[in-house]
Amino acid sequence: MAEPSIFFAEVNERQGTFHRRAFLLGGFAGVGLLALGGQLAHLQLIETQRYTKLSANNQFNFKLTPPPRGLIVDRNGVVLASNRPNFRLMVAKDKGIDPAETLKTLAEFVPMDDGRQARLLREISNAPRKSPVQIMEDMSWEQFSAINIRAPELPGVTADMGEVRVYPYGGSFAHVIGYVAKVNKSDLTDTGPNADPILLNPGFRIGRQGVEQAFDLDLRGKPGAQKVEVDANGHEVATDPAGDIKAVPGKEIVLTLDADVQNRAMEVFGDESGAAVMMDCRTGDILCMYSGPSFDANRFVRGLTAIEYKELAQYDHKPLFNKALTATYPPGSTFKTMVALAALENGYDPRTVHVCNKVWFWGGRPWHCDEAHGAQDLKGGIATSCDIYFYQCALAVGPDKIAAVARKFGLGDVFDIGIPGQKPGLVPDSAYKRRAFPKDPTWHAGETPSMGIGQGYTHLNPLQLCVQAARLANGRKMLHPRLVHSVGGVVQPSGAAFGDLPFASEHIDFIRNAMVAVTTTGTGHAFGDLGLGGIRMAGKTGTAQARGYAGGTGVHDRNGAWALRDHSWFIAFAPTDQPRYAMSVLVEHGGFGATSAAPRAREIMRTALLKDPEIRAKIEKPLPLPDVKPPDTDPDVVDPPTPAAAAVQAAQQTTE
Amino acid sequence: MTVSALTRPGERDRLIVKLGEIDWIFCVTISLIAGAGAVMLFSIAGSSWTPWAAAHLARYALFFAIMIVLSLIDLRVWFALAYPIYGIGFLLLLAVMVMGHHALGAQRWLQAGPITIQPSEIMKIGLVLALARFYHGLSSKSAQLSWWLLVPAVLILAPVALVAKQPDLGTAILMLLTGAIVVILAGLSWKIISAGVLGAGLLVPVVVMFGLHGYQKQRLTTFLNPEADPSGSGYHILQSQIALGSGGLLGKGYGLGSQSQLNFLPEKQTDFIFATLAEEFGFVGCISILVLYAAVIFMALRTAYLSHSHFGRLAAAGVTATFALYVLINGSMVMGLAPVVGVPMPLLSYGGTVMLTVMVGFGLVMAVRVHRYSEVTSGKGSLL
Repeated sequence: MAEPSIFFAEVNERQGTFHRRAFLLGGFAGVGLLALGGQLAHLQLIETQRYTKLSANNQFNFKLTPPPRGLIVDRNGVVLASNRPNFRLMVAKDKGIDPAETLKTLAEFVPMDDGRQARLLREISNAPRKSPVQIMEDMSWEQFSAINIRAPELPGVTADMGEVRVYPYGGSFAHVIGYVAKVNKSDLTDTGPNADPILLNPGFRIGRQGVEQAFDLDLRGKPGAQKVEVDANGHEVATDPAGDIKAVPGKEIVLTLDADVQNRAMEVFGDESGAAVMMDCRTGDILCMYSGPSFDANRFVRGLTAIEYKELAQYDHKPLFNKALTATYPPGSTFKTMVALAALENGYDPRTVHVCNKVWFWGGRPWHCDEAHGAQDLKGGIATSCDIYFYQCALAVGPDKIAAVARKFGLGDVFDIGIPGQKPGLVPDSAYKRRAFPKDPTWHAGETPSMGIGQGYTHLNPLQLCVQAARLANGRKMLHPRLVHSVGGVVQPSGAAFGDLPFASEHIDFIRNAMVAVTTTGTGHAFGDLGLGGIRMAGKTGTAQARGYAGGTGVHDRNGAWALRDHSWFIAFAPTDQPRYAMSVLVEHGGFGATSAAPRAREIMRTALLKDPEIRAKIEKPLPLPDVKPPDTDPDVVDPPTPAAAAVQAAQQTTE
Repeated sequence: MTVSALTRPGERDRLIVKLGEIDWIFCVTISLIAGAGAVMLFSIAGSSWTPWAAAHLARYALFFAIMIVLSLIDLRVWFALAYPIYGIGFLLLLAVMVMGHHALGAQRWLQAGPITIQPSEIMKIGLVLALARFYHGLSSKSAQLSWWLLVPAVLILAPVALVAKQPDLGTAILMLLTGAIVVILAGLSWKIISAGVLGAGLLVPVVVMFGLHGYQKQRLTTFLNPEADPSGSGYHILQSQIALGSGGLLGKGYGLGSQSQLNFLPEKQTDFIFATLAEEFGFVGCISILVLYAAVIFMALRTAYLSHSHFGRLAAAGVTATFALYVLINGSMVMGLAPVVGVPMPLLSYGGTVMLTVMVGFGLVMAVRVHRYSEVTSGKGSLL
């Protein structure tokens, strides 16, 4: 580099340039700092509220606390559905956490094979960040505490105590009460109660059937929230009890059911398929609504495996089906009570006699009866359940009048009992024929005899037959069934507040007397005596064809393949003099009404009556004890001295 | 101490005279900033001297002593060492490329026994010295526009390229801008400046498109729209803005900054310490610190004005520019005005390397002040 010649002027010029430009540089720096100050003012003075909120959102989390689900109890307060503690293990996905490694570590504490680990790993990776996935529930206390002790070394792992639904009588109430199950994606909605984030809580369960489904929102309660201060990793730093919002527990639901009666129904059904419904025939309260065979609702709370579900769904006895409401059957001979009442209401003389020779020719074809009953009047026809009598009785009255009476007894009706699933069935008349068969719209006289014995188009569900029995037993009131006694203390309307039956009481009395005759001398004579002193049960048997015999497929009574046998019906009430309970029992493919349904009805009725304090007072006749007042002083009982008296005695002794 | 004392050669070499010439107000100002840093580090650690606050103060004390010693070194010695320091820095940068220590995907350190050396930091001072040395001997005319300009261009671009390759984009940009500022201050023709600014304006998009690493590009797009991925790459910017904004006028109170105390703020003790300060002391605290920084820049620049030698002027101004760029880049980044580049807030942030660079730079500035009347001549007058 050549030696530059630096002149004085040159130096001055360089200095001048530097000074000007350095001044500019200082200006730039100043402007830059002012810009920073301006941005600070913008962030800290103008937008500070927005950022304060964001900061608080960062700092505080509201942890949803699920409300305890409302209890479901029976009429006596026996718990039918409650909650029990559940030690759960959860893993959340977050920064710096290797779920696979975490699961491997956890497998040392709780049983978890490789397949389960792989499945859970998928579940965790699908879940949103920081939302915990349930790894295990119902851990033992040992497992729970072992994991909790090591929790600080296991980031993202939480072991907590939640609640899980439990059904102490999971089998007998499964259809009525239903069950709760995991929330599906299809349950979630954008608005309304199912938009609540509590549904995403891993322990949350949603009502799926029966009362659990119908009253889900009442049972659910309101979730609370726990205010917790968290750091950037989501770890709790502190809790703020003052900021907590208490969870509102779900409402308690009191059912009209009686656990003992219902459990007895399950016992007597055994493996049989069918349903039993019992009502209090003064109030309409349902004491028993059992559908058999049943299933354990507790299994559904955790979630069934595919194999378990398939087993239940494919069994031909259809355990998942609530036969008390959802299944309809021809009512068979129980319907004769309706035919008889319709006849009486329309001026039919009950003394009218028809002769039964086992076969009756009418309309160019033979009509059959089980046996030759001989000459009988109306009461005798009911008692022996003579088909040939009722073919002719029905023809005398006509289908429309029979149907009108049957409907007044609740047949073909759907009742507001709070739970879904009722099938109305059908009570046919000529209007129905016109509506349903446009090609053959007239009611042929040949269709009336079948209707007279509860066959043909008629098909009804067990609840309807129980209502029919209850209205007959009550004799006056148009009783409605009531299943839910109260929700959260609010009593539901009684089933007796629906007006009166529009029938002459002597006609209803006639039917009731005929039903007494059924269990005294008739088809159900073996079941009238309940073995409870003098208390007797009245009833009517029914045997309904499962298939038409004409095609040669159906079989009578309990012969042949199960699915082809007759359905066995029994409707009843007791005691006969002052009826308390009415019921209907259906045994699917159970054969004659008196074979399967009637003995079961008797057992269930006995249980109900034995629990009734008024009835018990009649049954239990204790030896009356003489009404003697106990003496005030008993020479054999010596009272110990009081402390004061003892002190006086001691003082006397020392003075002596 | 009078100015006349400094103009007398025998007098101005006395130690006591030199010590008296050090700008002690300047020293107090930078100490206040470093002290504020320690206060914040104490708070972030949960009211604890460890792990940061005590180390910060100890370092500052050591580096302050180094600064004082450096300020006593004759400017002619600095002048003579300018090219050698640059040369050593450049060789070390080359060495980093060959055998540097890998950390977080970047190659920035040299490990020599227990000492880690970051050559880019040596280069920050070395570049300023070399440019000042070069322009000291260049006429005004040549400085405006001549073939001689190729020399500073190479002096700047060669180390910048090496640093950018490490990759350390923040330091590379800082060095590039510092070098450009020194060249402009030396009297570069406005034509070339305009052309350069225009060219840079055109070049930046091209560099962004093709020259940047994936994570660097990501940072840039994140800066433009931080809300797009609040929990991912936009996290730094968003959390920093939340910390600042939620501080409000007076702040949340000392030790009560939830953003920093609960770890929502990343790099809270280093690059984002200003956000911590903003959260706990609010607008008032931030402006106070910015005023201190402004005072430091003003005093350092005034030192450059006072110098009678061109070398002294340019060196002091170059160091001032580096310092001002640190403050502006970090401030903009923390406030969401610039993309996230790893540039700390000088003196406030925890970390020894940058503090050492800044304090050595300030030692140079003070040396310029103390020796402002020294005659520095190229070649012949040199002490070495």
